[in-house]
Amino acid sequence: MPPFDPELTEREGRRELLLAGLVVAAAVALVLLPVQVQQWMSSSLRSTVLAPFVLTQDVLQQARARTLELDEIQARLDSTTVLLAVQAPLREENLRLRSLLDLAERAGPSFVPAEAIRPGTRGSESMFLLDVGTRDGVSRDDPVISDRGLVGSIREVGPTTSQAMDWTHPDFQVGAMTLDGENFGLVEPRRGSFREEDRLLLNGIPFHTALPEGMEVVTSGLGVAYPRGIRIGRILSLAEAEAGWRRGYWLEPAVQPGQVTHVLVLTGESGRPESDWTYLWASELEVLRARQDTLRILEAEADSATVLRNRADSLFMEVERLRSAADALLPDTLDVLDPNTGVDPGPDAGNDDGDPDPQVEP
Amino acid sequence: MSRVVRIVLVLATLPALHFLLQVGFGAGRWAPDLLTLALLLVAREMRMSSAALTGLVLGLLEDAFSILAFGANAAAMAILGVLGARSRDLFVGESVLFHLGYLFLGGWIRAILHWTFSGEGARTGFREVFLLEGPVDALWMAVAGLLVLVLVGGLRPEPGRS
Repeated sequence: MPPFDPELTEREGRRELLLAGLVVAAAVALVLLPVQVQQWMSSSLRSTVLAPFVLTQDVLQQARARTLELDEIQARLDSTTVLLAVQAPLREENLRLRSLLDLAERAGPSFVPAEAIRPGTRGSESMFLLDVGTRDGVSRDDPVISDRGLVGSIREVGPTTSQAMDWTHPDFQVGAMTLDGENFGLVEPRRGSFREEDRLLLNGIPFHTALPEGMEVVTSGLGVAYPRGIRIGRILSLAEAEAGWRRGYWLEPAVQPGQVTHVLVLTGESGRPESDWTYLWASELEVLRARQDTLRILEAEADSATVLRNRADSLFMEVERLRSAADALLPDTLDVLDPNTGVDPGPDAGNDDGDPDPQVEP
Repeated sequence: MSRVVRIVLVLATLPALHFLLQVGFGAGRWAPDLLTLALLLVAREMRMSSAALTGLVLGLLEDAFSILAFGANAAAMAILGVLGARSRDLFVGESVLFHLGYLFLGGWIRAILHWTFSGEGARTGFREVFLLEGPVDALWMAVAGLLVLVLVGGLRPEPGRS
């Protein structure tokens, strides 16, 4: 790197400007490179120059986990007061890991446990790194879940690490259905004013279907990436209704990506859309309850329809009654009106010289 | 401390510290943007092309963690390098206030440049970047920059210079 020399000739100055322009052009060209090339470049940098920093986070997380274990052991020996003061975050972490462990045990060996690392650099808001890769059976597009539900999916895979996107990524989309399997739609993220305000929207629900608040929404398995039955979130409120044909609902996400530290990756057949993991999170009783809720809504709608029909019937009968009453009140002459002119032909009907009946003159 | 030593020292330590804090410790916004700070500090001591190249390399390193807007950091930093080197011809100063203003402005421009080069899907609102995130981050970085300048002796006029 040449030190700054203020005494540049005009020619050198022009050369400097040209070189600087070329460097800036090359930098701008990076934005326009194909995604595969960009991914290859970023992956190469992460596995070479930046590997020590990624490793540092890994080591730190392990050290933190060891410290937590140690603290737990020490906490058992300490007094109750100290235990209460220290144990709250540990308990939370412990509970999270336990529930993840339970989930992994229920799911079987095809679920690969991993640690999620967030780089925190500019532009990396919707991605995280995992310490598992192709050697662990992970492949591109494998779903990533936590003990609470769907986190996202794998985007890039290396031998020992992989890069995943969470549901706040603009490209995230998943086919969804209500837990009872009655209503299908598409879940996609909606960007808030701040990243913390990012939300999920369940779109494409038929207009005549009203979903109750709190109803569980899971993956439908109808897309190409996610298997059926992974928990996505709960219905929060009606977001939009396009007159006459569809509704959209805000969802309360099951998982807040920023809080996730340990995840499971669904590998192999378990991560394909043909698999069904409905009963991994929800018990049969919960599915049954969701179906009963839907049935209750349908019954209520049917009751409303019956009331409306009865009302229509009574109105129809009233109209019939009024019509017959009106018929009775009309003069007999109405029956003999000329259907063409609407005029009574009178007693001299057929005689062209006869005057018209003065009664029907306007 | 000579100029070359200062450049090497800043370029060796600040980016390493930046990635250690951001990637290693996951500090996020709590840590100042030391990568931009390093570029702004050395750009005034380098030629325009060298400053642009330094910006490109540093930006590329940060882009390695970006799947939303790869290249946005590289482009923003390369342009910032050029602007930093060019600023030497326009503004001269060694005072605390001058450096504070230079670093604050540089950090703010960098945030706007990054927003400009980020894709539509990766952006937050322009008002948030322009009025909130950009100035706050830039101020935090400028304060950290003053501390670095004190440590490397950048605030004192060098012997023989007026």
